[in-house]
Amino acid sequence: MDALLAALAASDPATALRFSRWGYAAVNTGHVLGIALLVGAIAPLDLRLLGAWRSVPLDAVARVAIPVAAAGLALAITSGALLFATRAPEYAAMPVVWAKLALVATGATAALATHLRAGRALHHLSRRARLRQGALSLTCWLGALVAGRMIAFLAG
Amino acid sequence: MRFPFPRRLAVATLAAVLAVGAPIAALAHHGWSWTTGGNIELRGVIVAVALGNPHGRLDVDVGEGEADVWTVEVGQPWRNERAGLVEGDLAEGVEIRVVGEPAADPEERRLKAERLYLGDREYVLYPNRS
Repeated sequence: MDALLAALAASDPATALRFSRWGYAAVNTGHVLGIALLVGAIAPLDLRLLGAWRSVPLDAVARVAIPVAAAGLALAITSGALLFATRAPEYAAMPVVWAKLALVATGATAALATHLRAGRALHHLSRRARLRQGALSLTCWLGALVAGRMIAFLAG
Repeated sequence: MRFPFPRRLAVATLAAVLAVGAPIAALAHHGWSWTTGGNIELRGVIVAVALGNPHGRLDVDVGEGEADVWTVEVGQPWRNERAGLVEGDLAEGVEIRVVGEPAADPEERRLKAERLYLGDREYVLYPNRS
């Protein structure tokens, strides 16, 4: 594991990014954009699942929110993998990084499971399933955002 | 229309975020909030180097006889370059003098460099401080 992480950090793309001013800034900005799209899209959907904005059809919210959130997640994961690679051994040694990855994995798994079950026709879900998905999703993504931001403040 | 449940949940989430964030902010190494606000000077030998984004880091042994290793945070590549540092300047075995702010907790033995000296030459990382 240690050798793998060291090799990742020593790879050409990771090395280039570690010493590039604007390349690093661009990937960092891409990561922020990914998170903004993901959380900005998923929060209204989760709150709708929890019972807010009942006058707006759930499936209409889902129609807009799901593709935007998915695109944001894809961008955040891609840019996040690159940022991780620049300092792989150090980030892997931080518990907050693993907490963040666990929250992302849980949030993504829950979203995928619900999506496989109901597609964008979320109104088919039971009230209980909607509340569970909304609460779990909101907790995971907000938690991942907080854990992610704390990485910069806890780095040794 | 009333939404008591999501509103309560939103308040609970906000409270949880603040509860998690507040104590952690005190440990911060990002920016200058974790330092004492006053400069000290360290003099020693570089024993380990990890340069690059998002921050460069040196381990500097300031001990006389017995090892006493401090972590010195230097700049990102562009900041170090702007200060006049070139590749190979900050290397293991090099004698260095560093002026900067130490972590508020002295047990951490961590310093954020404002400027550093290799021999007689001064390299200023943060020209607008001090």
